[in-house]
Amino acid sequence: MKDTPELRSIAIYSREELCGGYFVLWIWDDELSKQCSPGQFFEIRAQASFHDAWDSQRIPKLFKPISVYDNSGGRIGFFIKNVGAGTSALARLKAGDMLELIGPLGNSFPVVSGKRVLLLSGGIGYPPLSYLQKEIINHNLIFWLHGGATQADVFPCDEVWTVDGSIGKQGMVTQGLEDVIINKKIEVLYSCGPLPMLKQASEIAFRHGVEHYTSMEAYMACGIGVCHGCAVPIGSHDNWDYLRVCKEGPVFNANDVLWSEL
Amino acid sequence: MSIMTTKLGKLTLDSPITVASGTFDLENFHFIDQKCLGAFVCKTITRYPKKGNPTPRLYESEAGLINSIGLQNPGLDLFVQESLPILRDKLEVPLIVSFSGSSIAEFEEIMAKLETQSGIAGYELNVSCPNVDNEGIAFGVDPEVIYQLCSRLCSMTRREVIVKLTPNVTDITSIALAAEAGGADSIALINTVFGMAIDWKTGRSRIKKGIGGYSGIGIKPIALALTYKAANAVKIPITAMGGIYTWEDALEFFWAGASMVALGTANFIDPLSAAKLHEGLSAFLIEHRYSMRDIIGKCIL
Repeated sequence: MKDTPELRSIAIYSREELCGGYFVLWIWDDELSKQCSPGQFFEIRAQASFHDAWDSQRIPKLFKPISVYDNSGGRIGFFIKNVGAGTSALARLKAGDMLELIGPLGNSFPVVSGKRVLLLSGGIGYPPLSYLQKEIINHNLIFWLHGGATQADVFPCDEVWTVDGSIGKQGMVTQGLEDVIINKKIEVLYSCGPLPMLKQASEIAFRHGVEHYTSMEAYMACGIGVCHGCAVPIGSHDNWDYLRVCKEGPVFNANDVLWSEL
Repeated sequence: MSIMTTKLGKLTLDSPITVASGTFDLENFHFIDQKCLGAFVCKTITRYPKKGNPTPRLYESEAGLINSIGLQNPGLDLFVQESLPILRDKLEVPLIVSFSGSSIAEFEEIMAKLETQSGIAGYELNVSCPNVDNEGIAFGVDPEVIYQLCSRLCSMTRREVIVKLTPNVTDITSIALAAEAGGADSIALINTVFGMAIDWKTGRSRIKKGIGGYSGIGIKPIALALTYKAANAVKIPITAMGGIYTWEDALEFFWAGASMVALGTANFIDPLSAAKLHEGLSAFLIEHRYSMRDIIGKCIL
Protein backbone atom coordinates (compact mmCIF):
# COMPACT_ATOMS: atom_id res chain seq x y z
CA MET A 1 0.00 0.00 0.00
CA LYS A 2 1.34 3.43 -0.91
CA ASP A 3 0.62 6.35 1.37
CA THR A 4 1.00 9.02 -1.25
CA PRO A 5 -1.88 8.63 -3.67
CA GLU A 6 -1.53 10.53 -6.90
CA LEU A 7 -4.06 12.18 -9.14
CA ARG A 8 -4.11 10.47 -12.53
CA SER A 9 -6.02 10.64 -15.76
CA ILE A 10 -6.47 7.24 -17.32
CA ALA A 11 -8.43 6.27 -20.41
CA ILE A 12 -11.26 3.82 -19.89
CA TYR A 13 -10.26 0.52 -21.45
CA SER A 14 -13.74 -0.91 -21.68
CA ARG A 15 -17.20 -0.52 -20.32
CA GLU A 16 -19.51 -3.34 -19.40
CA GLU A 17 -23.27 -2.95 -19.19
CA LEU A 18 -25.13 -4.79 -16.44
CA CYS A 19 -28.78 -4.79 -15.48
CA GLY A 20 -30.73 -2.05 -13.70
CA GLY A 21 -28.43 0.98 -13.96
CA TYR A 22 -25.31 -0.95 -12.97
CA PHE A 23 -22.20 -0.83 -15.13
CA VAL A 24 -18.49 -1.62 -14.87
CA LEU A 25 -15.68 0.67 -16.00
CA TRP A 26 -12.37 -1.07 -16.64
CA ILE A 27 -8.97 0.58 -16.67
CA TRP A 28 -5.58 -0.94 -17.36
CA ASP A 29 -2.69 0.22 -15.19
CA ASP A 30 -0.01 -2.14 -13.92
CA GLU A 31 1.35 0.20 -11.30
CA LEU A 32 -2.02 0.98 -9.70
CA SER A 33 -3.03 -2.64 -9.92
CA LYS A 34 -0.03 -3.66 -7.82
CA GLN A 35 -0.95 -1.11 -5.14
CA CYS A 36 -4.55 -2.24 -4.57
CA SER A 37 -5.87 -4.55 -1.87
CA PRO A 38 -9.46 -5.75 -1.36
CA GLY A 39 -11.58 -3.16 0.44
CA GLN A 40 -9.71 -0.16 -0.93
CA PHE A 41 -11.35 2.45 -3.09
CA PHE A 42 -10.56 5.21 -5.54
CA GLU A 43 -11.96 8.71 -5.77
CA ILE A 44 -13.06 8.79 -9.40
CA ARG A 45 -14.69 11.27 -11.73
CA ALA A 46 -15.38 11.86 -15.36
CA GLN A 47 -12.58 14.19 -16.40
CA ALA A 48 -13.68 17.76 -15.81
CA SER A 49 -12.07 21.15 -15.85
CA PHE A 50 -12.88 24.13 -13.70
CA HIS A 51 -13.27 25.98 -16.94
CA ASP A 52 -16.25 23.78 -17.67
CA ALA A 53 -18.01 25.94 -15.11
CA TRP A 54 -17.41 28.93 -17.38
CA ASP A 55 -19.06 27.06 -20.18
CA SER A 56 -22.82 27.11 -19.54
CA GLN A 57 -24.10 24.80 -16.84
CA ARG A 58 -21.24 22.33 -16.54
CA ILE A 59 -20.14 22.83 -12.96
CA PRO A 60 -17.38 20.42 -11.94
CA LYS A 61 -18.41 18.01 -9.22
CA LEU A 62 -16.65 16.21 -6.43
CA PHE A 63 -14.91 12.91 -7.00
CA LYS A 64 -16.98 9.86 -6.01
CA PRO A 65 -15.56 7.13 -3.79
CA ILE A 66 -15.86 3.84 -5.69
CA SER A 67 -14.41 0.61 -4.32
CA VAL A 68 -12.32 -1.76 -6.39
CA TYR A 69 -14.48 -4.56 -7.80
CA ASP A 70 -11.84 -6.52 -9.63
CA ASN A 71 -8.09 -6.32 -9.89
CA SER A 72 -6.23 -8.92 -11.86
CA GLY A 73 -3.22 -8.75 -14.13
CA GLY A 74 -3.19 -4.98 -14.35
CA ARG A 75 -6.88 -4.59 -15.04
CA ILE A 76 -8.96 -2.74 -12.45
CA GLY A 77 -12.76 -2.73 -12.51
CA PHE A 78 -15.16 -0.24 -10.95
CA PHE A 79 -18.67 -1.61 -10.51
CA ILE A 80 -20.96 1.41 -10.31
CA LYS A 81 -24.65 2.09 -9.80
CA ASN A 82 -26.10 5.17 -11.42
CA VAL A 83 -27.73 6.88 -8.45
CA GLY A 84 -27.09 10.63 -8.65
CA ALA A 85 -25.38 13.54 -10.35
CA GLY A 86 -21.83 12.27 -9.84
CA THR A 87 -22.46 8.70 -10.89
CA SER A 88 -24.60 9.70 -13.86
CA ALA A 89 -21.61 11.62 -15.23
CA LEU A 90 -19.67 8.35 -14.87
CA ALA A 91 -22.55 6.50 -16.51
CA ARG A 92 -22.15 8.58 -19.66
CA LEU A 93 -18.53 7.49 -20.11
CA LYS A 94 -17.51 5.03 -22.76
CA ALA A 95 -14.31 3.25 -23.72
CA GLY A 96 -11.57 5.76 -24.54
CA ASP A 97 -13.00 8.54 -22.35
CA MET A 98 -10.77 9.84 -19.62
CA LEU A 99 -11.28 9.01 -15.98
CA GLU A 100 -9.65 11.09 -13.26
CA LEU A 101 -8.74 9.11 -10.20
CA ILE A 102 -6.99 9.37 -6.86
CA GLY A 103 -6.00 6.21 -5.09
CA PRO A 104 -5.99 3.49 -4.03
CA LEU A 105 -7.29 4.95 -0.78
CA GLY A 106 -8.22 3.67 2.66
CA ASN A 107 -7.42 0.45 4.47
CA SER A 108 -8.31 -3.04 3.33
CA PHE A 109 -10.03 -6.17 4.61
CA PRO A 110 -7.91 -8.29 6.96
CA VAL A 111 -7.15 -11.47 5.04
CA VAL A 112 -7.83 -14.77 6.81
CA SER A 113 -6.98 -18.31 5.84
CA GLY A 114 -8.25 -21.72 6.83
CA LYS A 115 -11.59 -20.25 7.94
CA ARG A 116 -15.26 -20.74 7.21
CA VAL A 117 -16.08 -17.36 5.75
CA LEU A 118 -19.38 -15.67 5.02
CA LEU A 119 -19.66 -12.76 2.62
CA LEU A 120 -22.77 -10.64 3.14
CA SER A 121 -23.63 -7.96 0.61
CA GLY A 122 -26.62 -5.74 -0.08
CA GLY A 123 -27.17 -4.02 -3.43
CA ILE A 124 -24.13 -1.98 -4.44
CA GLY A 125 -22.23 -3.43 -1.45
CA TYR A 126 -21.37 -6.33 -3.76
CA PRO A 127 -18.19 -5.09 -5.55
CA PRO A 128 -15.59 -4.94 -2.73
CA LEU A 129 -16.61 -8.42 -1.57
CA SER A 130 -16.20 -9.74 -5.08
CA TYR A 131 -12.58 -8.56 -5.11
CA LEU A 132 -12.06 -10.00 -1.62
CA GLN A 133 -13.56 -13.36 -2.62
CA LYS A 134 -11.10 -13.76 -5.48
CA GLU A 135 -8.19 -13.03 -3.16
CA ILE A 136 -9.14 -15.42 -0.35
CA ILE A 137 -11.03 -18.21 -2.11
CA ASN A 138 -8.06 -20.56 -2.34
CA HIS A 139 -7.44 -20.54 1.38
CA ASN A 140 -10.92 -20.50 2.91
CA LEU A 141 -14.37 -22.04 2.65
CA ILE A 142 -16.62 -19.26 1.42
CA PHE A 143 -20.39 -18.85 1.36
CA TRP A 144 -21.92 -15.72 -0.16
CA LEU A 145 -25.25 -14.25 0.85
CA HIS A 146 -26.55 -11.35 -1.23
CA GLY A 147 -29.70 -9.24 -1.02
CA GLY A 148 -31.26 -6.63 -3.27
CA ALA A 149 -34.47 -4.69 -3.73
CA THR A 150 -35.43 -6.58 -6.89
CA GLN A 151 -33.90 -9.07 -9.32
CA ALA A 152 -32.09 -6.16 -11.00
CA ASP A 153 -29.96 -5.76 -7.87
CA VAL A 154 -28.76 -9.34 -7.72
CA PHE A 155 -25.37 -10.67 -8.81
CA PRO A 156 -23.66 -14.09 -8.76
CA CYS A 157 -23.50 -15.58 -5.26
CA ASP A 158 -24.61 -18.64 -3.23
CA GLU A 159 -27.90 -17.46 -1.75
CA VAL A 160 -30.13 -14.63 -2.91
CA TRP A 161 -32.77 -12.58 -1.13
CA THR A 162 -34.90 -9.88 -2.71
CA VAL A 163 -37.25 -7.50 -0.96
CA ASP A 164 -39.94 -7.98 -3.63
CA GLY A 165 -39.34 -11.71 -4.00
CA SER A 166 -38.69 -11.41 -7.74
CA ILE A 167 -35.81 -13.87 -7.40
CA GLY A 168 -34.50 -16.03 -4.56
CA LYS A 169 -36.03 -15.87 -1.11
CA GLN A 170 -38.34 -12.99 -0.29
CA GLY A 171 -37.35 -10.60 2.48
CA MET A 172 -34.34 -8.80 3.85
CA VAL A 173 -31.08 -10.67 3.41
CA THR A 174 -30.40 -10.44 7.15
CA GLN A 175 -33.38 -12.77 7.74
CA GLY A 176 -31.28 -15.57 6.32
CA LEU A 177 -28.10 -14.64 8.14
CA GLU A 178 -28.55 -16.48 11.43
CA ASP A 179 -29.35 -19.81 9.74
CA VAL A 180 -26.33 -19.56 7.49
CA ILE A 181 -24.02 -18.70 10.39
CA ILE A 182 -25.25 -21.73 12.34
CA ASN A 183 -25.54 -24.24 9.49
CA LYS A 184 -22.28 -23.35 7.81
CA LYS A 185 -20.43 -22.94 11.14
CA ILE A 186 -19.25 -19.50 10.04
CA GLU A 187 -16.16 -18.11 11.78
CA VAL A 188 -15.56 -14.87 9.88
CA LEU A 189 -18.07 -12.47 8.32
CA TYR A 190 -17.27 -9.76 5.80
CA SER A 191 -20.09 -7.35 5.01
CA CYS A 192 -20.85 -4.36 2.82
CA GLY A 193 -24.19 -2.76 2.05
CA PRO A 194 -26.86 -0.38 3.35
CA LEU A 195 -26.60 0.79 6.94
CA PRO A 196 -29.69 -1.01 8.33
CA MET A 197 -28.34 -4.28 6.93
CA LEU A 198 -24.90 -3.76 8.47
CA LYS A 199 -26.43 -2.79 11.78
CA GLN A 200 -28.54 -5.95 11.98
CA ALA A 201 -25.76 -8.17 10.70
CA SER A 202 -23.45 -6.86 13.36
CA GLU A 203 -25.94 -7.72 16.13
CA ILE A 204 -26.40 -11.24 14.80
CA ALA A 205 -22.70 -11.87 14.23
CA PHE A 206 -21.88 -10.52 17.70
CA ARG A 207 -24.44 -12.88 19.28
CA HIS A 208 -22.79 -15.85 17.63
CA GLY A 209 -19.23 -14.76 18.35
CA VAL A 210 -18.41 -14.39 14.67
CA GLU A 211 -15.44 -12.17 13.75
CA HIS A 212 -17.00 -9.43 11.61
CA TYR A 213 -15.37 -6.89 9.30
CA THR A 214 -17.56 -4.36 7.59
CA SER A 215 -16.86 -1.92 4.81
CA MET A 216 -18.66 1.37 5.48
CA GLU A 217 -19.97 3.83 2.97
CA ALA A 218 -20.09 7.59 3.50
CA TYR A 219 -20.49 10.82 1.59
CA MET A 220 -16.99 12.18 0.94
CA ALA A 221 -15.51 15.49 -0.14
CA CYS A 222 -11.73 15.02 -0.15
CA GLY A 223 -11.13 11.25 0.15
CA ILE A 224 -7.67 11.82 1.66
CA GLY A 225 -8.46 12.45 5.31
CA VAL A 226 -8.61 16.22 5.28
CA CYS A 227 -12.25 17.28 5.51
CA HIS A 228 -13.67 14.91 8.17
CA GLY A 229 -16.93 14.69 6.25
CA CYS A 230 -17.09 10.91 6.02
CA ALA A 231 -17.03 10.25 9.75
CA VAL A 232 -18.35 7.15 11.52
CA PRO A 233 -18.52 6.70 15.31
CA ILE A 234 -15.95 4.14 16.47
CA GLY A 235 -15.22 2.97 20.01
CA SER A 236 -17.18 2.02 23.12
CA HIS A 237 -20.21 3.82 24.54
CA ASP A 238 -18.19 5.86 27.01
CA ASN A 239 -15.17 6.40 24.82
CA TRP A 240 -15.67 6.95 21.12
CA ASP A 241 -14.65 9.24 18.30
CA TYR A 242 -15.64 9.97 14.76
CA LEU A 243 -13.10 8.23 12.53
CA ARG A 244 -12.82 8.78 8.80
CA VAL A 245 -14.14 6.22 6.35
CA CYS A 246 -11.54 7.41 3.83
CA LYS A 247 -8.53 7.13 6.13
CA GLU A 248 -9.07 4.80 9.11
CA GLY A 249 -11.69 2.92 7.03
CA PRO A 250 -13.53 1.97 4.93
CA VAL A 251 -13.13 -1.41 6.67
CA PHE A 252 -13.84 -1.50 10.40
CA ASN A 253 -14.24 -4.27 12.91
CA ALA A 254 -18.05 -4.25 13.24
CA ASN A 255 -17.79 -4.60 17.01
CA ASP A 256 -16.01 -1.24 17.17
CA VAL A 257 -18.72 0.65 15.29
CA LEU A 258 -21.13 2.50 17.55
CA TRP A 259 -24.25 1.58 15.58
CA SER A 260 -26.56 3.44 17.97
CA GLU A 261 -24.98 6.77 16.94
CA LEU A 262 -25.56 6.16 13.25
CA MET B 1 10.50 40.17 -4.42
CA SER B 2 8.44 38.40 -7.05
CA ILE B 3 5.42 39.80 -8.84
CA MET B 4 3.28 37.45 -6.77
CA THR B 5 4.38 39.00 -3.47
CA THR B 6 1.55 40.34 -1.38
CA LYS B 7 1.30 42.09 1.95
CA LEU B 8 -1.11 40.88 4.55
CA GLY B 9 -0.89 43.07 7.62
CA LYS B 10 2.40 42.24 9.34
CA LEU B 11 3.22 39.54 6.82
CA THR B 12 4.86 39.79 3.43
CA LEU B 13 4.06 36.62 1.54
CA ASP B 14 5.54 35.11 -1.60
CA SER B 15 2.18 34.14 -3.03
CA PRO B 16 -1.27 35.71 -2.69
CA ILE B 17 -2.81 32.24 -2.53
CA THR B 18 -3.73 30.39 0.62
CA VAL B 19 -6.24 27.76 1.71
CA ALA B 20 -9.44 27.86 3.70
CA SER B 21 -9.21 26.29 7.12
CA GLY B 22 -10.42 22.69 7.20
CA THR B 23 -10.16 22.05 3.48
CA PHE B 24 -6.44 21.42 3.17
CA ASP B 25 -3.80 19.55 5.10
CA LEU B 26 -0.28 18.24 4.63
CA GLU B 27 -1.74 15.36 2.57
CA ASN B 28 -2.54 17.88 -0.15
CA PHE B 29 1.16 18.51 -0.71
CA HIS B 30 1.25 15.09 -2.40
CA PHE B 31 -0.44 16.90 -5.26
CA ILE B 32 1.04 20.39 -5.31
CA ASP B 33 4.23 22.24 -4.47
CA GLN B 34 4.14 24.08 -1.13
CA LYS B 35 5.53 27.19 -2.78
CA CYS B 36 2.20 27.78 -4.54
CA LEU B 37 0.89 28.96 -1.20
CA GLY B 38 1.79 32.18 0.56
CA ALA B 39 0.67 30.68 3.85
CA PHE B 40 -0.86 27.49 5.22
CA VAL B 41 -3.98 27.71 7.39
CA CYS B 42 -4.61 24.67 9.57
CA LYS B 43 -7.97 23.24 10.56
CA THR B 44 -9.59 25.22 13.37
CA ILE B 45 -8.71 24.00 16.84
CA THR B 46 -10.62 24.54 20.07
CA ARG B 47 -9.56 24.47 23.71
CA TYR B 48 -10.89 20.95 24.24
CA PRO B 49 -11.26 18.09 21.77
CA LYS B 50 -14.46 18.20 19.71
CA LYS B 51 -16.10 15.07 18.37
CA GLY B 52 -17.87 17.01 15.64
CA ASN B 53 -21.42 16.79 14.39
CA PRO B 54 -23.52 13.68 13.81
CA THR B 55 -23.56 12.24 10.30
CA PRO B 56 -24.38 12.73 7.44
CA ARG B 57 -22.18 15.79 7.41
CA LEU B 58 -21.88 16.48 3.70
CA TYR B 59 -24.07 16.99 0.69
CA GLU B 60 -23.07 18.18 -2.75
CA SER B 61 -25.77 20.46 -4.09
CA GLU B 62 -26.27 21.90 -7.57
CA ALA B 63 -23.39 24.35 -7.40
CA GLY B 64 -21.45 23.68 -4.26
CA LEU B 65 -21.09 21.73 -1.09
CA ILE B 66 -23.01 21.79 2.17
CA ASN B 67 -21.02 20.70 5.19
CA SER B 68 -21.71 20.23 8.84
CA ILE B 69 -18.43 18.94 10.27
CA GLY B 70 -18.80 20.83 13.54
CA LEU B 71 -15.13 21.71 14.09
CA GLN B 72 -14.05 18.14 14.83
CA ASN B 73 -10.52 18.50 16.18
CA PRO B 74 -8.18 16.98 18.78
CA GLY B 75 -8.15 20.07 20.99
CA LEU B 76 -5.40 22.55 21.87
CA ASP B 77 -3.19 20.23 23.96
CA LEU B 78 -2.96 17.43 21.42
CA PHE B 79 -2.53 19.97 18.64
CA VAL B 80 0.46 21.49 20.40
CA GLN B 81 1.90 18.10 21.35
CA GLU B 82 1.39 16.22 18.11
CA SER B 83 0.25 18.26 15.10
CA LEU B 84 2.27 21.42 15.61
CA PRO B 85 5.72 19.71 15.65
CA ILE B 86 4.84 17.94 12.40
CA LEU B 87 3.59 21.15 10.79
CA ARG B 88 6.72 22.98 11.97
CA ASP B 89 8.87 20.25 10.50
CA LYS B 90 7.12 19.82 7.15
CA LEU B 91 5.96 23.31 6.27
CA GLU B 92 8.10 25.49 4.04
CA VAL B 93 5.54 28.31 4.11
CA PRO B 94 4.26 30.40 7.04
CA LEU B 95 1.77 28.67 9.32
CA ILE B 96 -1.45 30.40 10.36
CA VAL B 97 -3.15 28.61 13.25
CA SER B 98 -6.93 28.84 13.12
CA PHE B 99 -8.73 28.61 16.43
CA SER B 100 -12.10 29.18 18.00
CA GLY B 101 -13.49 29.46 21.51
CA SER B 102 -16.75 29.59 23.39
CA SER B 103 -15.82 32.74 25.35
CA ILE B 104 -13.29 35.54 25.06
CA ALA B 105 -11.45 34.01 28.02
CA GLU B 106 -11.16 30.71 26.14
CA PHE B 107 -9.78 32.49 23.06
CA GLU B 108 -7.22 34.13 25.38
CA GLU B 109 -6.29 30.83 26.97
CA ILE B 110 -5.66 29.24 23.57
CA MET B 111 -3.61 32.16 22.31
CA ALA B 112 -1.56 32.29 25.50
CA LYS B 113 -0.51 28.68 24.98
CA LEU B 114 0.17 29.15 21.26
CA GLU B 115 2.30 32.21 22.10
CA THR B 116 4.72 29.89 23.90
CA GLN B 117 5.18 27.87 20.70
CA SER B 118 7.53 28.62 17.86
CA GLY B 119 6.87 28.20 14.16
CA ILE B 120 3.60 30.14 14.03
CA ALA B 121 3.35 33.19 11.78
CA GLY B 122 -0.14 34.23 12.72
CA TYR B 123 -3.57 33.36 13.98
CA GLU B 124 -6.94 33.12 12.36
CA LEU B 125 -9.72 33.80 14.85
CA ASN B 126 -12.59 31.70 13.62
CA VAL B 127 -15.64 33.60 14.82
CA SER B 128 -17.81 32.39 11.99
CA CYS B 129 -18.29 28.64 11.92
CA PRO B 130 -21.99 28.10 11.19
CA ASN B 131 -21.96 24.52 12.46
CA VAL B 132 -21.32 24.88 16.17
CA ASP B 133 -23.64 26.43 18.69
CA ASN B 134 -21.37 28.03 21.26
CA GLU B 135 -18.17 28.71 19.41
CA GLY B 136 -17.74 30.61 16.24
CA ILE B 137 -20.77 32.24 14.84
CA ALA B 138 -22.17 33.29 18.19
CA PHE B 139 -19.25 35.74 18.22
CA GLY B 140 -19.14 36.73 14.61
CA VAL B 141 -22.49 38.49 14.47
CA ASP B 142 -21.95 41.12 17.16
CA PRO B 143 -19.61 44.06 16.42
CA GLU B 144 -19.17 44.87 20.10
CA VAL B 145 -18.04 41.32 20.91
CA ILE B 146 -15.69 41.28 17.92
CA TYR B 147 -14.18 44.56 19.09
CA GLN B 148 -13.65 43.22 22.63
CA LEU B 149 -12.20 39.95 21.35
CA CYS B 150 -9.76 41.64 18.97
CA SER B 151 -8.55 44.24 21.42
CA ARG B 152 -7.92 41.64 24.10
CA LEU B 153 -6.17 39.16 21.79
CA CYS B 154 -4.16 41.59 19.67
CA SER B 155 -2.49 43.01 22.77
CA MET B 156 -1.22 39.51 23.62
CA THR B 157 0.79 38.91 20.48
CA ARG B 158 3.15 40.41 17.94
CA ARG B 159 2.06 37.87 15.36
CA GLU B 160 -0.47 38.47 12.59
CA VAL B 161 -4.08 38.34 13.80
CA ILE B 162 -6.66 37.56 11.15
CA VAL B 163 -10.36 37.61 11.95
CA LYS B 164 -12.50 35.32 9.81
CA LEU B 165 -15.95 36.74 9.23
CA THR B 166 -19.29 35.17 8.47
CA PRO B 167 -21.56 36.28 5.62
CA ASN B 168 -24.56 35.40 7.76
CA VAL B 169 -25.02 38.92 9.12
CA THR B 170 -27.07 41.93 8.10
CA ASP B 171 -24.09 44.24 7.67
CA ILE B 172 -20.61 42.83 7.26
CA THR B 173 -18.99 46.28 7.26
CA SER B 174 -19.89 46.92 10.89
CA ILE B 175 -18.21 43.64 11.86
CA ALA B 176 -15.16 44.36 9.69
CA LEU B 177 -14.85 47.85 11.18
CA ALA B 178 -15.11 46.42 14.69
CA ALA B 179 -12.27 43.98 13.94
CA GLU B 180 -10.15 46.80 12.57
CA ALA B 181 -10.87 49.06 15.53
CA GLY B 182 -9.99 46.20 17.87
CA GLY B 183 -6.55 45.97 16.28
CA ALA B 184 -6.88 43.03 13.88
CA ASP B 185 -4.10 43.00 11.30
CA SER B 186 -6.33 41.66 8.56
CA ILE B 187 -9.68 40.01 7.96
CA ALA B 188 -10.68 36.89 6.08
CA LEU B 189 -14.05 36.44 4.46
CA ILE B 190 -16.33 34.70 3.82
CA ASN B 191 -16.94 31.63 5.91
CA THR B 192 -19.76 29.42 4.60
CA VAL B 193 -23.29 30.65 3.99
CA PHE B 194 -26.14 28.91 5.83
CA GLY B 195 -27.45 26.23 3.52
CA MET B 196 -29.78 23.27 3.50
CA ALA B 197 -30.86 20.41 1.25
CA ILE B 198 -33.76 17.99 1.62
CA ASP B 199 -34.47 14.71 -0.13
CA TRP B 200 -37.66 15.71 -1.98
CA LYS B 201 -38.94 12.15 -2.01
CA THR B 202 -38.66 11.32 1.66
CA GLY B 203 -38.56 14.76 3.22
CA ARG B 204 -35.41 13.90 5.10
CA SER B 205 -32.72 16.54 5.49
CA ARG B 206 -29.52 15.63 3.65
CA ILE B 207 -27.53 16.93 6.63
CA LYS B 208 -28.18 15.42 10.04
CA LYS B 209 -28.26 18.79 11.79
CA GLY B 210 -30.55 20.27 9.14
CA ILE B 211 -28.73 23.47 8.32
CA GLY B 212 -25.06 23.41 7.33
CA GLY B 213 -22.54 25.72 5.71
CA TYR B 214 -22.74 26.18 1.95
CA SER B 215 -19.55 26.71 -0.03
CA GLY B 216 -18.28 26.38 -3.57
CA ILE B 217 -18.97 28.01 -6.88
CA GLY B 218 -22.55 28.96 -6.00
CA ILE B 219 -21.46 31.48 -3.37
CA LYS B 220 -18.87 33.29 -5.48
CA PRO B 221 -20.99 36.37 -6.31
CA ILE B 222 -21.97 36.70 -2.64
CA ALA B 223 -18.34 36.45 -1.53
CA LEU B 224 -17.24 38.93 -4.17
CA ALA B 225 -19.85 41.49 -3.14
CA LEU B 226 -18.94 41.15 0.53
CA THR B 227 -15.22 41.42 -0.25
CA TYR B 228 -15.90 44.61 -2.20
CA LYS B 229 -18.06 46.01 0.59
CA ALA B 230 -15.56 45.19 3.32
CA ALA B 231 -12.60 46.46 1.29
CA ASN B 232 -14.31 49.80 0.91
CA ALA B 233 -15.00 50.00 4.63
CA VAL B 234 -11.65 49.07 6.20
CA LYS B 235 -7.99 49.84 5.58
CA ILE B 236 -6.62 46.51 6.80
CA PRO B 237 -6.03 43.87 4.12
CA ILE B 238 -8.49 41.14 3.24
CA THR B 239 -8.08 37.45 2.47
CA ALA B 240 -11.05 36.58 0.29
CA MET B 241 -12.63 33.20 -0.18
CA GLY B 242 -15.92 31.78 -1.35
CA GLY B 243 -16.29 29.86 -4.60
CA ILE B 244 -12.86 30.63 -6.00
CA TYR B 245 -11.88 27.85 -8.41
CA THR B 246 -9.67 29.39 -11.10
CA TRP B 247 -7.10 32.15 -11.50
CA GLU B 248 -9.74 34.20 -13.31
CA ASP B 249 -11.98 33.90 -10.25
CA ALA B 250 -9.07 34.98 -8.07
CA LEU B 251 -8.45 38.06 -10.19
CA GLU B 252 -12.04 39.20 -9.66
CA PHE B 253 -11.43 39.13 -5.92
CA PHE B 254 -8.16 41.05 -6.21
CA TRP B 255 -9.85 43.75 -8.29
CA ALA B 256 -12.59 43.85 -5.63
CA GLY B 257 -10.03 44.59 -2.94
CA ALA B 258 -8.61 41.31 -1.64
CA SER B 259 -4.87 41.15 -0.95
CA MET B 260 -4.96 37.39 -0.81
CA VAL B 261 -7.34 34.64 -1.91
CA ALA B 262 -8.04 31.28 -0.32
CA LEU B 263 -9.18 28.06 -1.93
CA GLY B 264 -11.61 25.88 -0.03
CA THR B 265 -14.06 23.61 -1.80
CA ALA B 266 -11.87 23.86 -4.91
CA ASN B 267 -9.26 21.72 -3.13
CA PHE B 268 -11.77 18.88 -2.97
CA ILE B 269 -12.85 19.17 -6.58
CA ASP B 270 -9.37 19.54 -8.01
CA PRO B 271 -6.41 18.80 -5.73
CA LEU B 272 -4.24 20.70 -8.21
CA SER B 273 -6.32 23.87 -8.06
CA ALA B 274 -3.83 25.91 -6.01
CA ALA B 275 -1.01 25.05 -8.41
CA LYS B 276 -3.13 25.90 -11.44
CA LEU B 277 -4.21 29.17 -9.84
CA HIS B 278 -0.59 30.05 -9.12
CA GLU B 279 0.49 29.31 -12.67
CA GLY B 280 -2.42 31.13 -14.32
CA LEU B 281 -2.17 34.18 -12.11
CA SER B 282 1.56 34.64 -12.52
CA ALA B 283 1.26 34.25 -16.29
CA PHE B 284 -1.44 36.93 -16.31
CA LEU B 285 0.64 39.31 -14.19
CA ILE B 286 3.69 38.83 -16.38
CA GLU B 287 1.73 39.25 -19.60
CA HIS B 288 0.15 42.50 -18.42
CA ARG B 289 3.20 43.68 -16.48
CA TYR B 290 1.13 44.04 -13.34
CA SER B 291 2.21 43.57 -9.78
CA MET B 292 -0.36 42.67 -7.14
CA ARG B 293 -0.36 46.31 -6.03
CA ASP B 294 -1.66 47.43 -9.41
CA ILE B 295 -4.73 45.26 -9.13
CA ILE B 296 -5.82 45.07 -5.52
CA GLY B 297 -8.91 47.20 -5.01
CA LYS B 298 -8.75 48.78 -8.47
CA CYS B 299 -12.16 47.57 -9.62
CA ILE B 300 -13.81 49.94 -12.08
CA LEU B 301 -17.52 50.60 -11.74
